[in-house]
Order: sequence, then structure tokens, then C-alpha cells
Amino acid sequence: MDFSGQMVVADLEAGVGTLTRLGDAGVDLVLIVVEPTPKSVEVGCRAAALVADKQLGRAVVVASRIRNDDDLAMVTKAFPDHQVVAIPDDPAIVAADRNGVAPLDSAPDAPAIQALVRLADELVAPGS
Amino acid sequence: MCEASIMRVAFVGKGGAGKSAIAGTFARLLARRGQPVLAIDSDPLPGLAFSLGLDRDDAPLPDEAIEDRPEDEEGPRYRLRAGLSAADAVDRYAATAPDGVRFLQFGKIRTDPRTLFRSQITFRQIIKELPEDRWHLVGDLPGGTRQAFTGWGGYAETYLVVVEPMAKSLLSARRLARLALAGDRPVRVLAVANKVSEPGDAELVARRSGLEVVASVPLEPAFADAERSGRAPLDVVPDSGAIGAVSSLVEHLDRQPLRRAPS
Repeated sequence: MDFSGQMVVADLEAGVGTLTRLGDAGVDLVLIVVEPTPKSVEVGCRAAALVADKQLGRAVVVASRIRNDDDLAMVTKAFPDHQVVAIPDDPAIVAADRNGVAPLDSAPDAPAIQALVRLADELVAPGS
Repeated sequence: MCEASIMRVAFVGKGGAGKSAIAGTFARLLARRGQPVLAIDSDPLPGLAFSLGLDRDDAPLPDEAIEDRPEDEEGPRYRLRAGLSAADAVDRYAATAPDGVRFLQFGKIRTDPRTLFRSQITFRQIIKELPEDRWHLVGDLPGGTRQAFTGWGGYAETYLVVVEPMAKSLLSARRLARLALAGDRPVRVLAVANKVSEPGDAELVARRSGLEVVASVPLEPAFADAERSGRAPLDVVPDSGAIGAVSSLVEHLDRQPLRRAPS
């Protein structure tokens, strides 16, 4: 079958367990989602180290629930060698989660969704 | 030996629900009552140590505690060294957290999980063979269902499912409750509603999870800030409503020990 032009987006289990079992040609890109807390950043750093050790490919850090410059600085400082994309803390995402609906449908213009749209556009752009 | 009845609880729930923050606070508040508490961390990633107020430490159980099981003997490949009981291992190798809470872990993954096998297998033996009356046990299991009901929470008589009033978290709670009650041990499964921000949230958690809600922990920016600072919430915001709710949870469980099924 010809799978050209198709993409697979996988949402892995929390932690790094699945990452440790991923084969070396399994993915093109790993998005490491972290919150600006020491626990989350620590786990993200371990994920980034695994991606590098296993040579899984490119890793981009998605800094989620960012409230201010300090939050973002905490993440960027921990990942000096990675592209870090900020997703703002956004009540629209919380509301969508509470209601069990896709935030892209319920709040397409929310700042967090717009930031994700920009990230997706960048990742699928030719040559990225 | 404790004068009060021993609590053996494990916190479970979906990743990010707030298990570690509540478990760490719960363990310390229990210890402040003057009773011995062992906090059990079976997550291969760091979390509970932060919430207890301990410095992070990746160290597994030391080699001196572990030996290979003889080939002619049935059982896991590694075991506690001969002459070392589970209680001895806790006395020697568990860290001491603020308020005197003892903290036992099998170590944390850096890159290769195989480096933890010896420690992981021996840790399971320790928690299986812990004396019944020496410590209150407070466990923090990794998010999801994989560990919760595959033997890792076998010490627990009470599972506390930490649930956010979110669709995904509510669905996870129902599944966790079903799995817990499907086991062959007498356990009770209760819900802790976390990050509650609207008047009907606790009722929503009760209705959708099918569980009795025994604590309702409010969503508070100050508590979240403590988490963001990497410090134990109990040290940063001791007078917050969230800490008060966990304190009430300790009292509630102390008043209502598990009624064992008649044998």
C-alpha cells in the first residue's frame, strides 16, 4: 500500500515507558509536552535524553499551560538545545476538558488552540 | 506498633490528576499524628519525593540488599539478601522525609529501564512482605491502570481514586474502580475529587465515577504555585483549603477503617 502523504499522530502513555520500547525507526518527530513544574520538566528531560540516546529523531518541546515569562523561562532553561513552543494557559481548554469536547471544535479561536495550529502548520510545512 | 488502626492506602488515577501532591501531603499529615508512616513510590519517574519535601534521588535499592535467587528455587530472579527482612530493608534503605515519613522507592529511570530490574523486583518483594502493623502505608501509583492492579498496589486495603471533574478523568475513575473491585481481595475504593472549582463538582464526580467522594480538594492557585515551585505544598501553603481537605481525609479514613469481609 502507498502511505505517502499520510501521517500518524500517536498519543503515548504518560511517562517514558513507551518511549523506552520504541524502535529506532518508529517516529520522525517526538513532541515532549511539559508543564512549568519541576516534576514535569524533570520527566521531560528524561524523555529528551531517551530520544537522543535511541536516536529516535527530532524532538520539540511543547511548553503547556504557560502563564507568564517566568513559566516559559523555566522550560527553555531546562531544554537549551531544543526548540520550545509555548502554549498559553487557557481557560477554554479547561472548559472543553470539563465538557468532554474537542477544544478545536469548541474554541477554535482560543489562544492555546491558535498556538497549536501554528505549531502544526510549521511541522507539516515543506522542508520542516 | 500503632495504637490506632493501620491504614494501607494507595492513590490511583489518571496522569496529572494530582495523586502525588495529595499522597505526599496525606502521608505527612498522618505522620504528624505521631504514627509511623511509610510512603511507597512505585513510579519509575520522579514525583512523590517533591510532594513530600525530599530532594530528588534516583538511587535504586543498593546491590548489598539484593542477591540472585538460586536456579533451583522458584520465584523471581532476584530477592532480598538472606537474613534481611522487608522491615530491615525499610529501616536501612528508606529515606526519611519531613515529619518523619519513611520513603521507599526502587529508583528512577534515566535512560535504560533494565538498570532498575534488580531493584524493582526486590522492591516488590519488600512491599509484599511488609509487616502488617509496623507502618501506615501510603502508596502513590503511576497514572493509569497498568500498575494499579497488576500486583503493585497489593498492600492497599483502600484505593483512593483521585479524580478531576473532567470528562476523561471521570471515565478513568470508573474504569479504575471496576478493576479494583474485580480483584479477589477485600478492598474499598473511594474517590477524592481534586481541583474542584464549581459547586456541583463533587456531586459530578460521585455520579459519574459511581464512587463515594470522601474528600473534595479545591482548585487553588497558591497550591498550584507550590507545585510549580517544586516544594511540598504542606510547607508552602499549610493553611490552604486544599491542605485542609487532605487533613479532613486523614481524619475521615481514621474514623472509618476498612471493615474486612468475614472470612
